[in-house]
Amino acid sequence: MAFDTRRIPPRKPRWAARGLLLWALWWLPCAALDHGRLLDAAARFNPRTVVEAQALLQAIERAATVDEIQRLTVLNVFWNRRIEFRDDIEVWGRADYWASPLEALDKGRGDCEDYAIAKYLSLQAAGTPVAKMRMVYVRAMMGGRSLAHMVLAYYAEVGAEPLILDNLVADVRPASQRPDLQPVFSFNGEGLWQGVGASSAGDPLVRLSQWRELLAKVRAEGF
Amino acid sequence: MSLMRQVWVLVLGVALLALVGSTAVSTLSTRQLLQTQLQIKNSDNAAALALALSQQRGDAELMGLLISAQFDTGYYQSLVWRQADGRPAFERRVGPDTDRSGAAPAWFVALLPIAAQPGVAKVSNGWNAIGSVEVLSQSAYAHDELWRSLNRMLLLLGALGLLACLGAYLALHRIRRPLDNVVAQARAVVAGNFRIIEEPHIPELKGLTQAMNTMVLRVKSMFEAQADQLQVLRVQAHCDPLTGMSSRKHFMAELGSALSRDEGPLQAGLVLVRLRDLAELNLRLGRPVVDQVLQAIANAVLVYPERVRGCLAGRLNGADFALWLPAPDVAADTAQALADVLQASLPAFGGGLQVALGTVDLPREAAVGVWFGEADSALARAENQFGFVVEAIHAGAPPQQERSQGERAWRAQISAALQARRGRLVQYPVLDREGRLLHLECPLQLQLEEGGEFEPATRWLPMAVRSRLTADVDLLAVTLALEAIAKDGQQRYVNIAPASLLDGSFVARLREQILHAPRAVRKLGLELAESAAIHHFDLLFEMGRQLRPLGVKLGLEHAGAGLVKVDRLYQAGLDYVKLDASVVTGVSGDAARATFVRGMLVILRSLALKVYAEGLRDALDVQALWDCDLDGVTGPWASARQGQD
Repeated sequence: MAFDTRRIPPRKPRWAARGLLLWALWWLPCAALDHGRLLDAAARFNPRTVVEAQALLQAIERAATVDEIQRLTVLNVFWNRRIEFRDDIEVWGRADYWASPLEALDKGRGDCEDYAIAKYLSLQAAGTPVAKMRMVYVRAMMGGRSLAHMVLAYYAEVGAEPLILDNLVADVRPASQRPDLQPVFSFNGEGLWQGVGASSAGDPLVRLSQWRELLAKVRAEGF
Repeated sequence: MSLMRQVWVLVLGVALLALVGSTAVSTLSTRQLLQTQLQIKNSDNAAALALALSQQRGDAELMGLLISAQFDTGYYQSLVWRQADGRPAFERRVGPDTDRSGAAPAWFVALLPIAAQPGVAKVSNGWNAIGSVEVLSQSAYAHDELWRSLNRMLLLLGALGLLACLGAYLALHRIRRPLDNVVAQARAVVAGNFRIIEEPHIPELKGLTQAMNTMVLRVKSMFEAQADQLQVLRVQAHCDPLTGMSSRKHFMAELGSALSRDEGPLQAGLVLVRLRDLAELNLRLGRPVVDQVLQAIANAVLVYPERVRGCLAGRLNGADFALWLPAPDVAADTAQALADVLQASLPAFGGGLQVALGTVDLPREAAVGVWFGEADSALARAENQFGFVVEAIHAGAPPQQERSQGERAWRAQISAALQARRGRLVQYPVLDREGRLLHLECPLQLQLEEGGEFEPATRWLPMAVRSRLTADVDLLAVTLALEAIAKDGQQRYVNIAPASLLDGSFVARLREQILHAPRAVRKLGLELAESAAIHHFDLLFEMGRQLRPLGVKLGLEHAGAGLVKVDRLYQAGLDYVKLDASVVTGVSGDAARATFVRGMLVILRSLALKVYAEGLRDALDVQALWDCDLDGVTGPWASARQGQD
């Protein structure tokens, strides 16, 4: 299965040993955040976005220096503060739109998956392995009303109870402390690009899904 | 490689290249499409399966059942549920034996592998991550589809290629005929055959054809100008200035040639006409009137050569005219008719005009001296009488027995000789300036009576012509010549009777015969009398068109001034011309005759013809002809010269 071990960075020996994660490691060279490209991309929105992007970079740098659990808190707080919750239809004029972190920063507003995406990508940029993260579709109970929602789950160990990064509850809590959430389905970026390769990122057939399209978009923005 | 073939190769090459190229591009892009589709199918099915598995609350049995159900109802290579630590928890795979059942051949699969990666999706049970599913679809159907599309493509493009070739064929066919015409015209010009062709519609070829036609027309006008000039020279060289008849010298040369030829009647007649007392008339009537009288006599005599082929007329000296008739037993009647005409017309010029006519009938083989001796004595007898008198002498010995025998007997005799191949070729050398042998002129002799003598053509050719046997005679001559050539490799030229051309099957039979000796044929020459070009030009032309490409040389013999009168000589396509003895005899002593020969040489050379002279006896004449730059000579002189060597 591990057909391309050359790309394993030597500073990640612990993860390299885990067969399943090799898929993720294929993604790693792309995980290193390209600051210049991010700022360039931000500059195309407007100057204020550049300031926001610089704040994001600082947050990621700060997060990279602390341990993984703390890192969650840092970036969870960053995004929960920066983005104001709004429905896609209001922000983008569409029923469903998956915004990139920069787009979210530019608008300053976004819905649940925009939070989850931004946290996922910035955690990844700060050095958190993709294999430990999953985007989770959940059913959230809010005031007796059920709501389709998305959160980011962090698995410190294989099979462990995840920590949930959510915008409804400001702090990072273990899943067991979130009885309001009922998980339905989870996914992450692992294995998504394998075989198809970077060259087919522009292939219209491959970009059909929201998730894939988003990943292509953020890659262009430096993630 | 010919132009047509090059174009063909180009068309086929382009069609093939387009076929291969577009097939390759299409196949590769189809493969890419199928591969992508397969990949997407893997991913999407993995996501859908993972979604379903995630709803089973971690019940491994249910999950296994789901995976089996999906595997059995779908078209998969493998479905694997992997636990979070990478160990397979449940898997279904297609066995290696049932792996391939597609229509695509194995080599094709090996050549164009379709490598789709498995689709992977995460499975969870509530918040617990319980691994992932990997979905790998069958790729055999993709290969089948690829194989089918390749075949369809090849079929379609092959059909299109065929259509393109058909189109190219039609287009090429359209330009082929005019192109061939132009090429044929060019080749014909090289072969000395200047002809005009129809202008094609294709602009490039049109320009070329116009240029060639213009060139041909220019050659034609040049030829005509030269012919006119030659005509002037001929009059100067051969004709009496007052009457326009042949001069004495030329008449004697013509007569000598006519008497020695193969073809001609067995017997002929000569009429001498003399205006009596010329000196006295000059005094009495004055020169201008006498000249008019002479002119009137000349006109009366000239009626015959104008009407009868082979008939010769000339003014021998001041008051004497000669008329040679190539037919037996007509001389006396002709002379009488002539006398009547003159008797009716001459008195208008003055009284006391008397004309004496002497005639003689002789076998053609009699010498010139005998002819004139006999005719002179008849004329002397006539001069002893007063008025317009005709005296005739039948000096010819009564025809031999065989000559009087009927046509059927002749025919049978000649046929028998031909059947038994009782013939032989005699050989006369044709020499060039240095005395080297150019070729052998080979007249045929036939042994008419078994065990008898071989007799020259003079004796039997007239009967053969009348019996329409010349074609067979000529074929025998060609056969003998080819055999002789095969033996000693010497160039041999054979006479062909113009009458043979009239036989519709002659050229075809000749061609058939020649094709059997492809080596010897390069040394074979066929020569026809000038009259063939004058009277049967188209037949001669056709003969040359059919035989010359095989290597046969074609020429005219006994050629004189008449040759230049052949309008389309520049189209005839000949190799050589032999000038008649009547033209070349006496050139040494007569500058005008030599000039005429030179003129003929210029005109014939401009048509790329070799020019030989025949019937030469006099070494001085030969020298004079070398000075005219002739290619070769034949006749008694050449035979003697060869005998010396």
